Amino acid sequence: MKEENRKIGFTCAYTPLAVIDAAGFTPHRILPLGNAADQAGMLLHDNMCPHVKKILDRALSGNLPDLQGVVFMNSCDAMRRLADAWRSARSTDPIMILDLPIGADDRSAVYFTREIKKLATWLGSMGGERVTGAGIVSSVKKYNRAVTALGRASESAVAGELRGGRRALQNLFNLSVTSPVDEIPAMVDQLLQENELKKKALVPVFVFGNVLPDPEAFEMLASCGVRVVLDDLCSGSRQLCELDASAAATAWGDLARALLSRPACARSLPSLEPGEHGRRILTMAQECGAKGVIAHVMKFCDPYLVRMPVIRETLRSAGIPLLAIEGDCTQRSLGQQRTRIEAFVEMIGGSPS
Amino acid sequence: MMLEYFNDMISGIEAKQELGKSSARSRFALELAHLGRGLYSRDGTVAWCGILAPFDLLHAMGVRSCFVEFVGAMLASTGTIGPMMEQSEQLGYSTDGCSYHRAVYGAMAQGLMPEPDFLIGTSAVCSAGLASIENLAGHYGKEMYTIHVPNDDSSEAIAYLADQFRELPHFVARQTGRQLDPGHLREVVDRTNRMRELTLEIYRLARQVPTPARRRDLANFGIVSALFLGSPGGVEVVEAYRNEFAEKVATKNPGLPNERLRLLWIQNRIQFTNPLEKLLEQEYGAAVVADELNDINWDPIDPEDPFTGMARRALSVSFCGPAEHRLQVLTRLARDYQVDGAINPCHWGCRQGTGARGLLERGLRDAGVPTLNLEVDCVDPRNFSEGQLKTRLEAFMETLARRKSSWLN
Amino acid sequence: MPFLGVDVGSLSCDAVVIDDKGKLIGWTVVPTGARNIESIMRARAEVLERVGLTESGVEALIATGYGRDRVEGRLAAVTEITCHARGIQALLPGTELLVDIGGQDSKSMRLDGKGNVMEFAMNDKCAAGTGRFLEAMARALEIGVDQLGDLDRGALGNVTLSSMCTVFAESEVVSLIAEGAEVSEIVRGLHRAIANRTLALVRRVAPASQGLKIAMSGGVARNPGVVRALGDALDCKISTPAEPDIVGALGAALIAMERAQRH
Repeated sequence: MKEENRKIGFTCAYTPLAVIDAAGFTPHRILPLGNAADQAGMLLHDNMCPHVKKILDRALSGNLPDLQGVVFMNSCDAMRRLADAWRSARSTDPIMILDLPIGADDRSAVYFTREIKKLATWLGSMGGERVTGAGIVSSVKKYNRAVTALGRASESAVAGELRGGRRALQNLFNLSVTSPVDEIPAMVDQLLQENELKKKALVPVFVFGNVLPDPEAFEMLASCGVRVVLDDLCSGSRQLCELDASAAATAWGDLARALLSRPACARSLPSLEPGEHGRRILTMAQECGAKGVIAHVMKFCDPYLVRMPVIRETLRSAGIPLLAIEGDCTQRSLGQQRTRIEAFVEMIGGSPS
Repeated sequence: MMLEYFNDMISGIEAKQELGKSSARSRFALELAHLGRGLYSRDGTVAWCGILAPFDLLHAMGVRSCFVEFVGAMLASTGTIGPMMEQSEQLGYSTDGCSYHRAVYGAMAQGLMPEPDFLIGTSAVCSAGLASIENLAGHYGKEMYTIHVPNDDSSEAIAYLADQFRELPHFVARQTGRQLDPGHLREVVDRTNRMRELTLEIYRLARQVPTPARRRDLANFGIVSALFLGSPGGVEVVEAYRNEFAEKVATKNPGLPNERLRLLWIQNRIQFTNPLEKLLEQEYGAAVVADELNDINWDPIDPEDPFTGMARRALSVSFCGPAEHRLQVLTRLARDYQVDGAINPCHWGCRQGTGARGLLERGLRDAGVPTLNLEVDCVDPRNFSEGQLKTRLEAFMETLARRKSSWLN
Repeated sequence: MPFLGVDVGSLSCDAVVIDDKGKLIGWTVVPTGARNIESIMRARAEVLERVGLTESGVEALIATGYGRDRVEGRLAAVTEITCHARGIQALLPGTELLVDIGGQDSKSMRLDGKGNVMEFAMNDKCAAGTGRFLEAMARALEIGVDQLGDLDRGALGNVTLSSMCTVFAESEVVSLIAEGAEVSEIVRGLHRAIANRTLALVRRVAPASQGLKIAMSGGVARNPGVVRALGDALDCKISTPAEPDIVGALGAALIAMERAQRH
């Protein structure tokens, strides 16, 4: 029996949301949005990724919904420090840190399965329901339904038919991780009913990177002439992925493996093969019909910045134009890049409206 | 270029040794130079690794191994790092990244990184380190073994890491055609344990007030001697240090005459020539008596179950686990070495270490250890603002001089 | 009918008029100042007066530069990157690499030899190495910025600045003068510093630049010392158009012509 909206906060897209849902809680992504005062730098360091800093700023200024607890993933150095800072700054919050392997190999899957079970145990200690294999299967189904619904919304946005365009889609993505998952399909249906045929922004572009949850950022991109035909962002299409965990008997392990194998953030290397990210991005760029690629990588994000030279070279060798911009998750920082984005659009063919 | 550098270093030290001018530090430098020469002359099997790779295990398999950041440090100390940094920037490597890794990327692009036979990436101590190994593996087309270092030291975590270490010899065997000889491993583990004992003694001696260690004696000692673990040369180095320090303590011969202030140096020393440490000694009688990474917090390796011991050893490093762990290590060092204050050189681009700046400052202050944060790039001298750093250091020293050390009661 | 291109930069507002064959018939450069709307109006009025036209006599206008969205009556706003590429192609046909150093930003672009951009890089986060930097240094040396160009001739050695930050470098130059350093050596050091910084920007779009036709535009291109220093750094000869400040506005006017003639 699910009590109304008891929320568990999370910060990383690798969080096993299905487990939280199966335990009767609503996962709530603490998005790096809003205008909380800049205090994170003092607790950690100023040169930390804006994603982590903005989340911490929200916590420090109390700009958070009522949370029963918070789950952190050991995804990267910044996230580790975020967890440390949270413990220090909000010592009364129950928190849980899950380890996250790098690869999707068998040993990692076994290890991660144990971590997921630890999560379930912790949720139980906070009054959550006992999580069973069947429960996981049922929750995964709900999330997969949401993914399918969001996919329909994505298609509509790409076709230029979604009311509010890519900005509205981003809004949906944000809602999908801050609302009960059951509500997502209905939200999508509602929005799709109000379709309109908009004048399409001209140039098809593939955007990849990490975190860009500000809907206004997409409006700004559109105003520069960018039509996002595909994205690989963990606040976008990569946030919720279809996961294969449909048999109760093996649900825990299946979920673990599915999470490790999902479209990856640069901190992971599912195949454990060097250069995997560059290759994946190249394939996506080539298959989506984009004329160019925009990399939106947050400043100070090491997993991405260390790999950017290789990704850049991979795209360059394949003759695919790339614009790499650094951001801080907000529309404002993107706005300063307007000239670059417009110049890029002009370069790859098509002029801003 | 680097090969020449190491050759020169070796002949220089050996010449001095002939003249009877040999110190423990020069023995250490000689061992380091031999390692460097071996890497750059591709003498035998070469592996580039992450910081937490089990170097003694690799030694037991006849592999010359090293962590890549070593190259960054060497380039910094020889003053030749500038072109590498420019090269990596031109290739699109953001200047926000840690310069150790940026330098390595630039060196790789310029063909100045010795080509490895294989690589071992470790997810700790940092994300960028692992990504750097991946870049090198891709560039050279060599295989990479990835070790996921867990974030805690529970028994499952240790077992998981031990498993990965256990499997490592199979990976290495596939690369080299050589199996791990159990007898050889035993020998190596024995030496590791011997080195551990001796190193503990070194640190015990170094803790004396005043310390027998001179300014550069123990710089980079802990980090680099991890590379010598299990090797005969490694044992000789630590024996030399132990003997030298023991004698200095017995004959009341301090590292810094008129030692007035004792400092804990956090994370890493500045790798290029700079006047700061000397300034501290000469103007304030302040000696760096302790370094965060000059620490042994692991038990002897059980030769019957070496991988578990190695896993525990890796996880004992202060950078593993939560910031709380790091604070425990630093506070213990501060207490054991009776320091008056700590200096935190916040290395540019370091997310894992420098990212905890505020937490460490708070935690150390609560433990009664005044701490000075210095924003500095430990490897790239191009942005070294000597004046600003001096001012901060001097102000800090002045405040320390006015306090009496809280440990000396 | 003629076409008008307006480049609203942070330091100057440039306006160019071309005829319907693309030939340059008039131009003007006006300081932008605090109110760019006024400067835009002034630039437009001036250039039209010079060529004896009124606004209605212009077929189309393209606006470029930082303030391009403020220009009324424009056919479109096009970025200065695209405009510079077009402009330099008209002035120095076949240019394959353009370096533009303006008042407070710098750009490099790899061109296809036909006026199209293949890749570009911008540095607009800091004024180091730009016109503002040179102005500050000229101030410190107490000379006019347009005199800097040839002052490094005859310098035997050169002084290396320790900081590229405009603010700190200015203090450093003042100290150097007080210490009696040769002005020619200081100026050479300045020119080299800019060249090195610019080199990094060039390498982002052209890792190997040997054999490419390279040109420079922007106010700083009027400084032969910088042009020479950059040429040394790139080991090649760098061409500069006679009027390097108006390349963007010229490109804008040419694009206006192309677009109007397409319809």
